[in-house]
Amino acid sequence: MNDAQHPEWERLAEKQSRLAFGLAVGELARRDDKVVAISADTIDLFGLRGFLEASPDRLIEAGIAEQNAMGIAAGLATTGMRPILCGYAPFITTRSLEQLRNDVAYANQRVVIGAACGGIVLAMAGGTHHAVEDLAIMRNMPNMTVIVPADARQTWHAALQTEQLDGPCYIRLGGKFEEPPVTDIAGDGFRIGRADLMRPGGDVTVIACGCLVAPAIAAADALAGTGIGVRVLNMHTIKPLDRDAVLAAAAETGAIVTAEEHRTSGGLGGAVAELLAQEQPTRMRMIGMPDEFAIVGPTAKVRAHYGLSQQAITDACHALLA
Amino acid sequence: MTSNFEAKIQGLQTDALHIRRNVWRALHGAGSGHMGGSSSAADLLAALYFHHLRLRPDEPDWLGRDRFVLSKGHANAALGATLARAGFIDDGVLDQFYAYQSSFGMHPDIKMPGVEMSTGGLGHGLSVGLGMALGARMQGMDFRTCVMLGDGELHEGSNWEGAMAAAHLGLSNLTAILDYNKIQQSGRLGEMLDLEPLAQKWTAFGWVVREIDGHDMGAIVEALDALPLAPDKPSMIIAHTVKGKGVSFAEDSYLWHNNAVTDEVLSRALEQLGDPE
Repeated sequence: MNDAQHPEWERLAEKQSRLAFGLAVGELARRDDKVVAISADTIDLFGLRGFLEASPDRLIEAGIAEQNAMGIAAGLATTGMRPILCGYAPFITTRSLEQLRNDVAYANQRVVIGAACGGIVLAMAGGTHHAVEDLAIMRNMPNMTVIVPADARQTWHAALQTEQLDGPCYIRLGGKFEEPPVTDIAGDGFRIGRADLMRPGGDVTVIACGCLVAPAIAAADALAGTGIGVRVLNMHTIKPLDRDAVLAAAAETGAIVTAEEHRTSGGLGGAVAELLAQEQPTRMRMIGMPDEFAIVGPTAKVRAHYGLSQQAITDACHALLA
Repeated sequence: MTSNFEAKIQGLQTDALHIRRNVWRALHGAGSGHMGGSSSAADLLAALYFHHLRLRPDEPDWLGRDRFVLSKGHANAALGATLARAGFIDDGVLDQFYAYQSSFGMHPDIKMPGVEMSTGGLGHGLSVGLGMALGARMQGMDFRTCVMLGDGELHEGSNWEGAMAAAHLGLSNLTAILDYNKIQQSGRLGEMLDLEPLAQKWTAFGWVVREIDGHDMGAIVEALDALPLAPDKPSMIIAHTVKGKGVSFAEDSYLWHNNAVTDEVLSRALEQLGDPE
């Protein structure tokens, strides 16, 4: 089903990836009677109230107990069920990390983890509620697929495509404010592990994920007016990384900017740098968070504080072209 | 003349003796290992695998099989010895404990036939078993799930999350069996971080509890035959055991939680255990 065809799409999910994920949970459950949602007191965070009322036997409420929730998910998966664990990114990646590593990744169970409030979506809440190391953690789990959708509709397609995976998957989602649509409404071109070419360009490449894709596109469009060709890749899948797209960008543009709402170590920028350092050393700039706990404040202001912006991407492109 | 029950018990005691002897054999091959907690669990494992659990060793992935999770994964030598005796793996695997590229490491690996979950990190098995029990209920299957817990691992808070949830969900198809040998790596639980009053704790968490002597094969069989202990609650069997059971110099000592097994130690241990034939 196309996202826009879902009767509840416009009302529930168009502009919030966490709700799009919740809607996709219902769609996956409709398609496959083995699908079961697990909540860690996250029913409303994921918009699952309607699903719970319609299918009370398909949602397990684990309470505020992520370790147990993760273990339950792994155990369910061993029996042939398709658990989808809906958690908060800052908690599900750290509180239950050993369960995630041992029971899910090491045992290679088909568990899909939806992680709402990734990055500094909860910037006002303080460092306990920020998830700016989650991609580094997840990317270091063998067997794990790691996805950061650029918007709600990409979230929908990513969630539905997890049906095809044989191992665990982590999908990082946003929070309770609007995320501008970035990707094509058709969305059918989405493939796990294949970067979206958002803008062509031959001078410099911006490889972005999540909420940095829109600023990257805006930067590219503005720079196009000054005669600078900026290629923009939406690297929604952090792992497995689209090596071909990265290596082609390096070969064809000779300069790479990465942009992510994550510390600059270990996430998207780290993945790109590790690949290029070995295969094709290329000049790079990394847009992301520094090695410190982030300040508190409104998310938009905190993002600007750390240079997660069109301006910072533009400046990085200029720096590489200078 | 022995009754059928007595003959059954004698057979299971022989199974347990084989398991213990093979624990020592595996540890000797590896040079060292977790003897204490493997030997304390041997009678329980024998009763589970050769009396209680419905399994098909020649079809280890049979969907209807009962599930067993060794949450105290450091007793993997005993699990391997049990799986070999049950026919899941070749006897020769027992000589590959800790060996290069072996499927038989210190802790269970889900890739080994008969192993339901990779364990070793403590405090994981109950939640995983809970998920298996839920999977049975959601799919209308009648398989049962048993999780063997160590006592030291009950220090991990995740167990109590699982205990709370299993009772809340009314999972009578889930049984926990505690190998309560009362000794952890560095000393006695009672001195390090006491679990007592333990039966009251599990009862308060909503489980039905039965306490047994974990080396009294008749009591073990009777407890397993009584499962589920209640129609709408998970069951906890607290089995009081002796760490290192069966070999005098290794019994009831934290030094034998994980220790070296030399040629001399092996021969003394096997001599004390006796020949099953």
